Amino acid sequence: MAEFVLMPKMGLTMTEGFLTNWRKLEGDTVNKGDVLFDVETDKLTNEFEAKSSGVLRKILVNEETVKILVPVAVIGTADEDISELLKQAGGKIEEAAPKKEEGPIIEAVPSAAKAGDRARISPRAKKIAQELNVDYNLLTGTGPGGAITENDIRKFAEEKPKNKVSPTAAVVAEQLSVDTDKIQKDTRIMKADVVKYKMDENLTKYAAPQEYRTPMSTMRKVIAKRMLESVQTSPTVSFNIKVDTTAMKQLRDELKDEVKVSYTDILVKIVSKVLLNYPLLNSTVDGNEIVTRNYVNMGVAVAVPTGLLVPVVKFSNVKGLKDISKELKDLGERAKINKLTPDELIGGTFTISNLGMFGIESFTPIINQPEAAILGVNAIIQEPVAINGEVVIKPMMNLSLTADHRVVDGAVAAEFMSKLKEYIEKPGLLLL
Amino acid sequence: MKIAIIGGGPGGYYAAIRASQLNAEVTLIEKEHIGGTCLNKGCIPTKVLLHAAGEFENLNKNLKDYGIKITGAELDWDKLQKRKTIIVRKLIAGVDNLLKNNKVTKIMGEGSFVNRNQIMVKSDDGTETTVDFDYAVIATGSKPVIIPIPGVELPGVITSDEALSLKQIPSSMVIIGGGVIGSEFAAVYGALGCKVTIIEMLPNIVANMDRDIVAPLKEKFKKKGIEVYTNTKVVSISESAEGLIVNTVSDGTEKTFNAEKVLLSIGRKPVTDNLALKNVGVETNRGAVAVNKNMQTNVPNIYAIGDAIAGVMLAHAASSEGIVAVESIMNKIPEIDFKTIPYCVYTKPELAGVGLTEEQAREKGYDVKTGIFPMNLNGKAMIEAEQEGLVKYVIDGATGEVLGLHMSGPSATELIAEGALAVRLEATIDEIMSTIHAHPTVAESLHEAAHAVYNNAIHIPK
Repeated sequence: MAEFVLMPKMGLTMTEGFLTNWRKLEGDTVNKGDVLFDVETDKLTNEFEAKSSGVLRKILVNEETVKILVPVAVIGTADEDISELLKQAGGKIEEAAPKKEEGPIIEAVPSAAKAGDRARISPRAKKIAQELNVDYNLLTGTGPGGAITENDIRKFAEEKPKNKVSPTAAVVAEQLSVDTDKIQKDTRIMKADVVKYKMDENLTKYAAPQEYRTPMSTMRKVIAKRMLESVQTSPTVSFNIKVDTTAMKQLRDELKDEVKVSYTDILVKIVSKVLLNYPLLNSTVDGNEIVTRNYVNMGVAVAVPTGLLVPVVKFSNVKGLKDISKELKDLGERAKINKLTPDELIGGTFTISNLGMFGIESFTPIINQPEAAILGVNAIIQEPVAINGEVVIKPMMNLSLTADHRVVDGAVAAEFMSKLKEYIEKPGLLLL
Repeated sequence: MKIAIIGGGPGGYYAAIRASQLNAEVTLIEKEHIGGTCLNKGCIPTKVLLHAAGEFENLNKNLKDYGIKITGAELDWDKLQKRKTIIVRKLIAGVDNLLKNNKVTKIMGEGSFVNRNQIMVKSDDGTETTVDFDYAVIATGSKPVIIPIPGVELPGVITSDEALSLKQIPSSMVIIGGGVIGSEFAAVYGALGCKVTIIEMLPNIVANMDRDIVAPLKEKFKKKGIEVYTNTKVVSISESAEGLIVNTVSDGTEKTFNAEKVLLSIGRKPVTDNLALKNVGVETNRGAVAVNKNMQTNVPNIYAIGDAIAGVMLAHAASSEGIVAVESIMNKIPEIDFKTIPYCVYTKPELAGVGLTEEQAREKGYDVKTGIFPMNLNGKAMIEAEQEGLVKYVIDGATGEVLGLHMSGPSATELIAEGALAVRLEATIDEIMSTIHAHPTVAESLHEAAHAVYNNAIHIPK
C-alpha cells in the first residue's frame, strides 16, 4: 500500500526543513532504514531514514524547504496506482511553496534569483554586454518591464563610436590577436595600449583566475544571519586579562587518575560559579527588561566540519567537574558527527569559545544572542612575568571577554574578569 | 591663480600666453630682452645670417646657370647686422604685443626667490618689485659653456653671442665644437670669405643626428673649403703675432691651427645661479633644475622648463615644456608628445631629423629597416640647384612603424613636419606610401624614401 514519506519533525521547535541530497532515484528499491535524504534546519543537518520498504515511486520535494509533515515522496510497490496520492500531494505542495520566500532559508540556485533589481537585464544580455564591452547602465531596455535585451545590447554596440587606432597599433593588434574594440580608452589607441592589453590578457591566462560559487549551506546561512544580527543588536566592548594557568594544570594533574579534564572543562566549572555573582553577564535583554537567572546554561563552541555549533551544558552551575567533562566530551563528539538533538543546542545563557589549541593570543568573539557576553579562551604561552621585581616564566593564558554594554558596564565586566582570574589562579576558592 | 614666470624666452613667453588663455593671472619677469636667447642671440639672428649667406652663395654660384648675370655682388656686413637687428626688434615687439594682448604683466629685471610664494625683482634702475605667486615657472634659459682650458680668456676667443655681431667678417676662424651651432656658424662665415676650420672631439660633426644625413653636409663643407677635424681635442689656445693658435691633439698626434677668431661652441649650460633657489629648496642636478614629467620641481608649486632644465635644449622643446608646465598647473592634462621633437640644422644642405636615428633604433633592439632616397634624383631639388642630401625613413621591420625620419636637402627643416606627425600618430610606412605627395616638390622624395623601404621607389634604378 503506497504511502507518503513526510518531512520529519526533528525537535520541539522545528517548523520547516530544507530537504537535500536524495540518495535514491525514482524507481530504486528502498529498505526500511536506508538513508533517503538529508534534512537541514537552522540547528543541524540530519540524515533521514526510510520508515518502510518498497519502491521509491515519486520524489515530490528536492532541494527545497518545506514545512514539517509535508509529503516529500511516495513509496509503494513497483506498479500500484499512486495517482490519488499524487493529487493529494499536489494541493499540499502548493501550500508549502509560497513559504519559500520567507526567512533566510531560500535556496540560492542562481537562475532562480530573478527578484527585484536583476529583472532589468537578462543574464544572456548581460553576458553579451560583457563580451561587447558595453556598459549596460547606459541603456534603456525594450524588453518586458523595461528589461534590457540582447538586441538592445547589440544595437548599442554597433552605434557606439569605435576607438581610433593608430596604424602601428592596428598592425600590432593583428599580430597579437587583440580586438582593439575591447580596449578602454577615450583617445586614440596607440601601440603601447595594445601591448599592455595583450600582457594583461596573458597574465590573466597565466593566472587562470577562477571564482567559485557555492550556495551557502543552511548552517552557514544561519551562522551568517545570527552573527550579523548579534553585531547589529549588541554594542560590545572587549576585555582582556591574562591568567596564570599553573593552578589549573596542577588541578588537572591531581585529577588525572580519576578523570581526565580539559582546561575548557575547568573553565566551564569556574565561570559558571563566578557568573552567579555577576548575573548581568549571564543575562538576556528583552525589550526594556533584563532577565537574570540563578542558573547557568553554559554553551561551549565546537568547530565542526561545516561550521560551528554551540552545544549547551544545562545547569552547569550545579554539575560537578567530572560530569561537566563527560558531558562536554559527549556533546563535542556528537556535534562533530552531527548527532546533536535540537534541544541540546538551545537555552544557553553564556558561551565559552576556546581557540587556544590554534595558538590564538586574543580575539573578539561575537555574542551568541540572546546572551549578554561571551568568553574567548586563548593559548597558554610560557611568558616572562615580573614577580617581586624578578622575571619568571609562567604559563599565561589570555581571556578575551566580549560583553554587551547595554547591560554590562565596563567596571562590571572588569570586575568579573578580575574575579575570574582570581578563581582560576586559586581554584581552592571554589571550595568555599 | 597667480602664476609668475621668470624668463621671457620661447619657454617663458609661451607659458605666459598659455597660462593667460587658461585664465590665470600671469606675471612675466625678464632680465634682458623678451624673446630670450632664441630671439636675441640664437635661433632668429643665426637664421638671418644663414639666410643672407645662403642667398649670397646662390647669387654667386647658381644663378648664372639660370641666365641671371650678376657681377660684383657684395655683402655689406653692417647692413646685414642692421637687418638682423630690425628683424629681432620686430619679433620682440610682436611678442610684447602678444603679452599685452593676453594681459600678462611684464616686469623687466632679475628675479630671485624670496620664499615659496614670493619673487623679488631687481630692475636696472635699482627699483625692487615683489611678485606674489601661487605657482612659479623657472624659464631662465642657458649660456654658452666656456671650456676651462688655458687661453680661453684671450681676446678673440668668442662664443655664439659675439659671433653673431662681429664688427667684420674675420679672415679666418677656428670653430671648437662641430655640433649644430658650430656647423651653422661655419656655414655662415664659410660662405662669406672667412677661412673656417671645425675642430670636433667626437668621431663626427652633428653627432646627435643620423650619420647618413650628415655625410652630405660634410661633403659640402669640404667643397666649400671648410676643413673638418674630428676625433680632435683642443688642449689650449695661445697667442701669436697674427692672431690665435689653437693647440690640439688627435690620436696622440699634436696639431695646431691659426686663426683670427676662435669660436667656442661646445654646448650650453643652464642659468640658475641667481635665482636664490636655496631660499625655496628647489633641487638642481649639475646646475639644471630637476623636474618630473610635468615639469614640476621637488617644490610642488614651482615648475621649470627649457634650457634651465637642460634636456633637449631647443626653443620648440622649451615652448612645449612651457605649455606642459602651465597646463599641469591649471589642472589640464597636457597632451604633448615629446618623442616628436624635430632637430634642425640650417646649413646648406639643411639637416633635419625626428624620432630614432638608425643607430638608436638598432640599439633599442628593433628589427630596423630603412628606406633611402638620394636628393639628386629629385626634380625640384635640381630646379633649386640644391642636390646634395638624402631622405631616410627608419622603420620597425616587425610592424612597419615609422621610428624616425632623417633628411638633408632643401627645406629639410620644413619637411620634417611629415616625420613628426608620422611619429605622433604611430603611422606605419604604409601610411606614408599611401599618401599622395605633390609633384614637383622636394617633399615627394619623402614619398620615394618610404617606398624605398620595400625597394619600390619609382625613381631609384634597380
